[in-house]
Amino acid sequence: MIVVQNVSKHYGKFLANDDISLAVQSGELAVLLGPNGAGKSTLIKSVCGLLRFRGSITIGGADNRSLEAKRLLGYVPEMPVLYPMLTVREHLEFIAKAYRLQTWEPIAEELLRRFELSDKTNKLGKELSKGMQQKVSVCCALLPQPKAVILDEPLVGLDPHGIREIKAVIAGLKNSGCALLISTHMIESMEENWDVTYIMKDGKVAALYRRGDLPAGQTLEDIYFSITESGKKA
Amino acid sequence: MSALVYIIRKSMKNSLKELGKKPGKLILYLLVIAAILGMVLLSFIRTVDSPAPLFWFSGILFLFIALFVVNAFAKGLSGGDAIFEMNDVNLLFVSPVSPRKVLLYGLVRMAKTSFWAGFFILFQANTLANFGVDYGGVLLTFAGFLLSMAVLTTASLLIYSVTNGNAVRKRIVKCLAVVLFLPLAVFLAVQYFTTQDMATALEITIGSAFLRFFPVAGWTSSGVTAFLSGDAATGLLFLGLNLLLCAGMTAYILLSNPDYYEDVLVATETAYEKKRALADGNMGAATASKRKVRVAKTGVSGSGATALFGKHMRENLRENRFGILTLPSALIALGAVIMILFGRELSLVLQILMWLQIFLIGTGRGLKETYSHYIYLIPVSSFQKILWSNMEIMARTLFESALIFGIGGALIKAHPSFILICILTYTLFSLLLLGVNYLFMRFFGADISAGLLLFIYYLAVILAMAPGLVMAFVAGAAIGGDAGYFTGLLILSGWELAAGLGCFALSKGVLHNCDMPQMKTGK
Repeated sequence: MIVVQNVSKHYGKFLANDDISLAVQSGELAVLLGPNGAGKSTLIKSVCGLLRFRGSITIGGADNRSLEAKRLLGYVPEMPVLYPMLTVREHLEFIAKAYRLQTWEPIAEELLRRFELSDKTNKLGKELSKGMQQKVSVCCALLPQPKAVILDEPLVGLDPHGIREIKAVIAGLKNSGCALLISTHMIESMEENWDVTYIMKDGKVAALYRRGDLPAGQTLEDIYFSITESGKKA
Repeated sequence: MSALVYIIRKSMKNSLKELGKKPGKLILYLLVIAAILGMVLLSFIRTVDSPAPLFWFSGILFLFIALFVVNAFAKGLSGGDAIFEMNDVNLLFVSPVSPRKVLLYGLVRMAKTSFWAGFFILFQANTLANFGVDYGGVLLTFAGFLLSMAVLTTASLLIYSVTNGNAVRKRIVKCLAVVLFLPLAVFLAVQYFTTQDMATALEITIGSAFLRFFPVAGWTSSGVTAFLSGDAATGLLFLGLNLLLCAGMTAYILLSNPDYYEDVLVATETAYEKKRALADGNMGAATASKRKVRVAKTGVSGSGATALFGKHMRENLRENRFGILTLPSALIALGAVIMILFGRELSLVLQILMWLQIFLIGTGRGLKETYSHYIYLIPVSSFQKILWSNMEIMARTLFESALIFGIGGALIKAHPSFILICILTYTLFSLLLLGVNYLFMRFFGADISAGLLLFIYYLAVILAMAPGLVMAFVAGAAIGGDAGYFTGLLILSGWELAAGLGCFALSKGVLHNCDMPQMKTGK
């Protein structure tokens, strides 16, 4: 569903992504791990068509900048960006109308209920806490029922209930056949559901692990530190 | 104290070092310095045969500073003024440095902020020459402005300190703010009804004690004007009143409330949050006011790309008290109509508005929209999205210009064809500016420093307008008179339309082939 081939991205002279290739199949959860500055957010933004890059990215076989790809894609940015003068419900209405969704109201109601936002539908974006904003941001991304979902640090700023719901939503999306690419620093939060993990370092994919590839007795966290901190200590 | 001196010295040193690493910024600074020097030279060369009376200058300066007086009250009543940054809060406030010394440091930092806020005054040599003010006078005006800003920032800090968490005191200060302006307004009204002539009434009011002794704004405008007229004693008296007030307020804050950290915290945190929101692309949150908004009518109209326009209209109607017009654009419209009334011509105001529009085009929701991800992900063609997301600023500009030139033109009995051509020229100029902005997004993206980008942007606007201006000037001069002037503006409008559309054509597919811009805030 999501195919990234030989993607490189420069910011001036700085090489943020260096010849990266990865693939996420339908019903698969791919985790992007890496220290700060490894190039995870740059890669995610490139996949979402927010940055220019060299190489090729397709969503459902279509170029990621095409309208076909955009119809399949949902994106939750690292920092929630809401419109301060729109209510929670209007955010969803705007997405529904911009995407020309036909029967969106029941889906919106369900999302609002799951994230405990049903009683806040008339609250303005600027009146919400950061955690609430993150929840609305997730609702906006999921409303069009995308087939590929990209989440950049989705758990940051959420309360325990929000974290539990996001994890449940992620599991549900995976079971329904959605392709998921998630960037996170909270390694343990993905331990249950991950299928494939890409560990990034210095703009490159330093390692690729499938769930079955993990050596016995080792966790994702052990692998992460062995790769990202190799060469730091004698 | 040595720690504070160290911070100031080191910050200055590192800023200078940074210039070496960022040639774009260095070029920009050098160009600014060259422009100021050019202004100084021009002021020596240019002579005005019959300068406008100095009291008009005094009145304009008063009005300008009076706006900051209102702002100081508003800031003081909401969260105080941000004289510190979050790094000061996190490092200095918790350190064993005397709060009095820290406040002094804050005031020194604030002087730097005020310096940049009033920097544009240094470029007004040409305008001020019309009042017979030389470059020494420009520097004096600049110094007066800086002094006013020091007084007003301290005032807003004091107001916040005194009224914080006390509703009764807040009401008293609000009443005081109104009472401050009341005698002046009554005096002006009385003069107008007596003389039946606004210009005469204004002249009398500007010379009256009500204006001259108006705190800060009146003192500064009268002090600067007195110096310019050669009356140094009066000048010193008025500017001295500012100094006295500033010293008095600072002493009060220090002596009565050395634990002022809490008072400045809200403003500092708010300023920091806005800066961070800008850097994160959350343009809406960065510019949103804290004003309580009542949610009455809800809903977003439109479908596909038109939903962007529907959303912008809902946001506008909810945010602005004047419907499609924002508060700044309503104030600009009001000021422009007054200028037309006194200047008795449309062309000067058209020129000024076009210059302002170069900066103000960014206030449109369409360009702000490009800083967040939604517009890029909507599965509609890039062209349709750009068209409908900029419909709001185009509609606003058309409405604004119809208001300014319609009312202003009617008041001075200008020919309807002139009114229409001014509206057309101004509105189509916005189209050209939008085109240039999208062209920049398409070709520059995130690979260029903000300072250099700004410089190239101005240059691009000038270059894009140059052929149209030359053609308009040549045609206007050849035909001559009012007909020539009308033809010139018609040609300029045609050029703006053609160049604007050309820019849009060159930036085809921009939203699907660019880097999402990021606000560079130095966070």
